Amino acid sequence: MKQQKKGLALWLALAVVFLALALFSGFQGRTESVQETMRDAVLHSVNQIAFLGGKAVNPGLISAFAVTVVLLLAAACIRIFVVPRFRYAPGKLQLLLEEAVGLFDRMAKTNSPHRNGFLGAYIFAAGAYIFVGTLFELLGLQVVTTHGNPITLPAPLSDVNAAIALGVLSYLVILSGGVAGNGVGGVGKTLKEFSLPISMSFRLFGALLSGLLVTELVYYFVTLSFLLPVIVGVLFTLLHAIIQTYVLTMLTALFYGEVSEPSHKEKKPRKSGATG
Amino acid sequence: MNIPLNVDWQQILLHWMNLAILIAGLYFLLYKPVKQFMQKREEYYQSREQQAASKLEEAEKIKARYQAQLDGAEEELRLARQKSQQAVQQSAEEQIAQAQAQARQIVEQARIQAEHSRERAVKESQRELKKLVTEAAEKIALHTGEDPFDQFLTLAEGGKTHVDR
Repeated sequence: MKQQKKGLALWLALAVVFLALALFSGFQGRTESVQETMRDAVLHSVNQIAFLGGKAVNPGLISAFAVTVVLLLAAACIRIFVVPRFRYAPGKLQLLLEEAVGLFDRMAKTNSPHRNGFLGAYIFAAGAYIFVGTLFELLGLQVVTTHGNPITLPAPLSDVNAAIALGVLSYLVILSGGVAGNGVGGVGKTLKEFSLPISMSFRLFGALLSGLLVTELVYYFVTLSFLLPVIVGVLFTLLHAIIQTYVLTMLTALFYGEVSEPSHKEKKPRKSGATG
Repeated sequence: MNIPLNVDWQQILLHWMNLAILIAGLYFLLYKPVKQFMQKREEYYQSREQQAASKLEEAEKIKARYQAQLDGAEEELRLARQKSQQAVQQSAEEQIAQAQAQARQIVEQARIQAEHSRERAVKESQRELKKLVTEAAEKIALHTGEDPFDQFLTLAEGGKTHVDR
């Protein structure tokens, strides 16, 4: 009990020390105003990064490649070290992996009972990308812009290009399901939902961007981070990572199932020939 | 062409390439092996379930067969019991008949023996009577002067004299 009290007192003392240091150390002069920072977070017109030393690209693209590398490395490690040790009575990690795969597989089968092989694999990868990509901003990896300023890598989907790419790709996957299930009729069914790529893209972009803007705003003014503790930001990021993963994968599975469902042609009732 | 929000087709294509790599990689490295394992386990447990069901069915058949055998054995037992009862009854009747025949034979033999004994006794008594008569006759004839007939009568009446004469 005494040790706990001591630990709590130490923790409070450290917090007060850090607060005092933050308040009295003096702020470095900012190179850009808050308006410029927020505008750049949306448009990425200033802070760009040289891709492979050549073309200047948005930081979101670098984040996307980083997320892919992280995911593929993790998947490779799991494939090499974990999957061969799978048992019929699963352990904790095996249970987690099976639940992750089973979740998207069940989602695909439930929403698209007629055709779901590719859909399951797609929504699994898209879900992993959105979830890990959203949490990626918590890492705070630093890169240097073309102007020489350091910036923190944002979530990939807070870049409008990434959101459009994922939204349109999901729409193309839905279209492929329509073609595979119903041929030309499937194309018609899919094209009826012409607003889908835009809504999917901008739903993702808006959700991720709002998180980014709040984070930018909070950490632009250091003192604001004491009003909104970091843990709250982490929890919000986790929450909207889960929500956005669920929304995009569910919508994709739902529309895929709708357009790939074989159409049942109802026979028209014959007119009776007795009527003179 | 200046697209609003700085949309860049080249970067979108790069994102697509990135997503294609990610989807293919995750499919081959994670999704497919885990799903295959899950299917394998499902098939294993399904086969176990089928085996258990077939064994249960087999056990039910064996049980039914043994039950039928048991029912047959009970019927067989009943028939055997009935047969043995009949045999016992028949045997008892035979024994009774045999005993009765033996009894008849014994009675007949006894009767014959009795007949023989009676005949022998009669012959014996006749012989003794003859002997007595002869002795009496000899006594009368040789030792007394009385009328033999009277002597005979006296002897017959136990030594008393005949008063009627």
